[in-house]
Amino acid sequence: MAAPGPGEYFSVGSHVSCLTCLGQRLQGEVVAFDYQSKMLTLKCASSSGKANLNDVILINLAYVSDVDIINDRTETPPPLASLNVSKLANRARTEKEDKLSQAYAISAGVSVEGQQLFQTIHKTIKDCKWQEKNIIVMDDVVISPPYQVDNCKGKEGSALSHVRKIVEKHFRDVESQKSMQRSQAQQTQKDSTLSS
Amino acid sequence: MYIHFYLGRFLNYNPVTQLNLNYRIFFSLEVVFNGVYANMRMVHVLTSVVGTKCELKVKNGAVYEGVFKTYGPECDLVLDAAHRKSPEPAGGPRKEDIVESIIFKASDVVVVTFKDVDPNFARKDNFTDAAVSGRVNGEHKEKDLEPWDGGETHTSGSLESLDTDVSNGWDPNDMFKYNEEKYAVPLTSVPLERDNSEEFLKREARAAQLAEEIEASSTYKARVALENDERSEEDKYTAVMRGEREAHALSRENKYIPPGQRNREALSWGAGRQNSPRLVQSSAGPPPPRPGAHDYSPSAGADQRVVNGGPSHWPSPCPSPSSRPPSRYQSGASSLPPRAATPTRPPSRPPSRPSRPSSHSSYPSYPSSSSSSAHHGLAPPGSTLPKRMSSEGPPRMSPKSQRTPRAHRVPPCRTSAGVDFMSHNAPGEVPVTQQSRSSSSGGTWSSVVSGGKESRVQETRQTSPTANKENIKPLDSTPSITRAVCKGPPSMAQDHRKQIDNLKKFSVDFRLQSSSNAEPAFDQMKPGDKPKDPPLDKASALGQEGGGDEGAAAAPGSAQGPPASAGKPGSPAVSAAAAASSSPAGADQKRPGPDVTSQGVQTTSPSTFTKAEGREEKKEAVHEQVKKSTLNPNAHEFKPRFNAQPKPANTPTPPRPQGQPSPSIVVQQPPAVYSQVCFPQMYPLTPVSPGVQSPAMYHIQMPHMAVSQSKPYRPVPNMPQQRSDQHHPPGTPNMMHPVTAAAPPLVAQNPAYSAQYFTCSPQQFASQPLVQQMPHYQAQAQHVFNPVMQGSARMMAPPTHGQPGMVSSSTTQYAEQTHTMYGRSTPPPNDNSLCWAMSPGPMPQQYPHPNATLHPHPQHPQPSATPTGQGPQGGQHGGPPSHQAASPVQHSQHQQAAALHMANQAPQQQMYSPLAPSNPAMNQGPNPQSPQATFPTGQQTLYLHPQQVPHGYNPNHMAHVQQVSLSLHHPGLPVLTKSQLFVISGLQTNFRSWLHWCS
Repeated sequence: MAAPGPGEYFSVGSHVSCLTCLGQRLQGEVVAFDYQSKMLTLKCASSSGKANLNDVILINLAYVSDVDIINDRTETPPPLASLNVSKLANRARTEKEDKLSQAYAISAGVSVEGQQLFQTIHKTIKDCKWQEKNIIVMDDVVISPPYQVDNCKGKEGSALSHVRKIVEKHFRDVESQKSMQRSQAQQTQKDSTLSS
Repeated sequence: MYIHFYLGRFLNYNPVTQLNLNYRIFFSLEVVFNGVYANMRMVHVLTSVVGTKCELKVKNGAVYEGVFKTYGPECDLVLDAAHRKSPEPAGGPRKEDIVESIIFKASDVVVVTFKDVDPNFARKDNFTDAAVSGRVNGEHKEKDLEPWDGGETHTSGSLESLDTDVSNGWDPNDMFKYNEEKYAVPLTSVPLERDNSEEFLKREARAAQLAEEIEASSTYKARVALENDERSEEDKYTAVMRGEREAHALSRENKYIPPGQRNREALSWGAGRQNSPRLVQSSAGPPPPRPGAHDYSPSAGADQRVVNGGPSHWPSPCPSPSSRPPSRYQSGASSLPPRAATPTRPPSRPPSRPSRPSSHSSYPSYPSSSSSSAHHGLAPPGSTLPKRMSSEGPPRMSPKSQRTPRAHRVPPCRTSAGVDFMSHNAPGEVPVTQQSRSSSSGGTWSSVVSGGKESRVQETRQTSPTANKENIKPLDSTPSITRAVCKGPPSMAQDHRKQIDNLKKFSVDFRLQSSSNAEPAFDQMKPGDKPKDPPLDKASALGQEGGGDEGAAAAPGSAQGPPASAGKPGSPAVSAAAAASSSPAGADQKRPGPDVTSQGVQTTSPSTFTKAEGREEKKEAVHEQVKKSTLNPNAHEFKPRFNAQPKPANTPTPPRPQGQPSPSIVVQQPPAVYSQVCFPQMYPLTPVSPGVQSPAMYHIQMPHMAVSQSKPYRPVPNMPQQRSDQHHPPGTPNMMHPVTAAAPPLVAQNPAYSAQYFTCSPQQFASQPLVQQMPHYQAQAQHVFNPVMQGSARMMAPPTHGQPGMVSSSTTQYAEQTHTMYGRSTPPPNDNSLCWAMSPGPMPQQYPHPNATLHPHPQHPQPSATPTGQGPQGGQHGGPPSHQAASPVQHSQHQQAAALHMANQAPQQQMYSPLAPSNPAMNQGPNPQSPQATFPTGQQTLYLHPQQVPHGYNPNHMAHVQQVSLSLHHPGLPVLTKSQLFVISGLQTNFRSWLHWCS
């Protein structure tokens, strides 16, 4: 009954490369493999280049060809750490809410820049919402299109200045990200495409 | 049949179906874990990416983006808020594009990409070594361990420097400075805007109330005691104090000391012993009760020492109290006899003594004030006072230190002086009382003490002839005690030499103190007490003793003072001691006094300062008295060890209690106790009559109480911790006793009982504000610590007349103090001081209140008792005081016994305490009973004391408490020997009631 051990076909920790039926080349370190479902999980370097993050790819080997084991690993894989399920559940919920919120804004005709800005602000200040095309931060600061620093209006105070700093930094980061992505000539990302 | 058939079928088939079901279930379960779910690593990785955005490609090439929600056993994937991603770059999904959630069958999925996943996001072991090291980026190299180079600054005495570096992080000022410099945040301290608005006043009152409540709580006291207990762990629990005592005892024992000298020696002893314990011993030693006292005193001394050594009599403020208490107890025990004697005196000197008592009371008041201050920091004065107390803390500390150092710390002299004085006074109560009175009049502790000593000396001299050996002995003992006190701490080892020196000093001091202190003290005392006490005192006691006592006190003090000064002043040691005591002790005492006064003020009113001073004086007087009394009681015994006189004093004390029976006298005596001087005076007055001596003893006890209180304030808290239970018990016992004592009369009055006691004391108080204060002290002492206990014991003795009286007196004092403090439940700073350690304080206070009210009545009862008491007083413990005689065992037991009981009780108490640990009062109650039972046998208790002595500190404490309770019981017993049971039961009830009162 028991499915073959993880290492029966692909030992955990070995590097594998394969080609999907859609013509996509995938390569990474084997994290898990389920024989019955033919599902293989690989861990790759982050596509965004962040060192502490990884991209995880779940591959259905039923639609894959040309599987190569670049190097095998016989060592016993490290033990698994227990997971904080509630934390994961919270993350799932917030992600969903964020996406829905963003979708709401988009459906309201908000520009991509505006959406990005909203996401950025939302990371720092939870108390922000859409009002038509305006971003309302802490019920105090209103950011209207085109969502530039000069568009931040509100009662002069620490809140306004703080929001302005965030907006300013956001666009600076977006610019740097764009340039970086171009230089790296990597796959186009949503953001980059959007921005471009 | 049918049924059976069906059942049979059912049963037959059932198993099968069930088996099938089981199989299925089992199967299903297996299935559950089949698929992806059976693959730990797949489960883990998929679970760890839950909540992340992902792009999912299906067979037809379509790409869906959504939040990965979950997955099924067949690796079906669920995406929340998913939308189909259009090939063209678009702003983003429109609201209408998003699907709540989509389930993708594994067979449809080609590849799923989770971008930028934090592998450690959901890891629980974020802080394990593996987790931490696993998160390190890039090359991580274990840091090379480098040997620590402390640098030059630490090369020498680095450890010491660390120890001495008390800085704990940033200094507040540095923080303010930093913020000011870096953030321009100015150091702001917003002054409290005071206004007279109702709201503000209400809040203020509320704050004060809360503070009072908090400070009155036993837990608070216990903690404060802990905080203020400077004694080291070793001092508290492991240090063996016997050596000193024994050494002292041996030294003393080996040498024959004339009664007169004995006092001095006793003082020195006290000094040597440093602590009330010694004093107590000395007091116990006081000749009066001497016979018993001798045994007792030695034992008492031992007990005291033990007590001191044992827990931390001295250490904690309470300790000091406790120490004092012990001393008091012992002294009290001795004093009790003295009191018994006092009773006789009371008759003769009631008035004069009362005055002294007033001084004593002042002492008590001091303690109370200090206690109150400690407890409260409420009233501004109070607050200041409390602060002072805290500042005084040193005194207490000193008491503690004294205790610990007893032999070592001279500074303690102040405190120790106070303590010693107390104890000394107790020992040589009579002399002490006189001296103390004079000293009390002096006002300052030191002065009082010195005065007390002088007075004692004088008294001893004066009384020596008649009562006088006791007195003398007490005096001697007191001197010795005082000296002992002064030096005591420092020189447990050096005791002898130091004692001598101390004695000399004391003589000097005595002169000083005796000269003018007594009267001033009285005046102060009266004024201070007057606020609250005055009513009671004046009303009840003042009428009787008030004028007389004061006058007597003043007179005795002056008279004695001169002689003492003349006689002893000559002795350099005395002068030195006096100086020492005056300077250190004096300062301390003064401070304490202020505190006390402040406390008194607080409790009573700010105006009470004078009272406080008076109290201080009284305390001093008390101390002196205590010392004397202790000397006297111990004297007999002490002679061998401390001074025989001390014991006599003890024996006398018992009489006093009986003497107390005579309300006026007795009452006064209690006051006297307070300002032991009074007793001494009494002695002079009734020097001849043993009773007088006993009174002296009582006074001494009172002094002890006072002393303990004075020091106790802080010490008391400590004591409370250690002895709080005991204290309470004592208090309760006392209460009980009163009740029991009152037994017949009291019985009906039960409440009254305590009240009577109180009343008695009140009367005393009334008659002698000082006395009242003394009672307070005693009461407090009783309530509070062993000192209290002792004091209470002594008090009890006085009460004997009404033990109640004693108790009441103490209580009354409390009451007075409380009265002053009255409004405040804690008023009884005194109580607090006494009670400090325990809630006893509160109880005492409560008692006091009752007493206050009762006092008047009690006194009357006491008077009757007093006569007997006086009679008994003649006998040492049992014999002298009719009280003892009547309830000789009880009374004498109570009072003398009180002292004895203290000792005896100590053991018993210990026993009891175990039995009724929860309620000190209960314990005491039981103890009292048992003690009584044993004690009733009487003076035997005295014998027992020795046993108690072994018990050591705890025993003493316990004993004190028990004694107190016993004393109370005794009083009751005297009245109703049979009442013992009543007492016991009553005590318990009383205790409970007391507790309730306290609470």
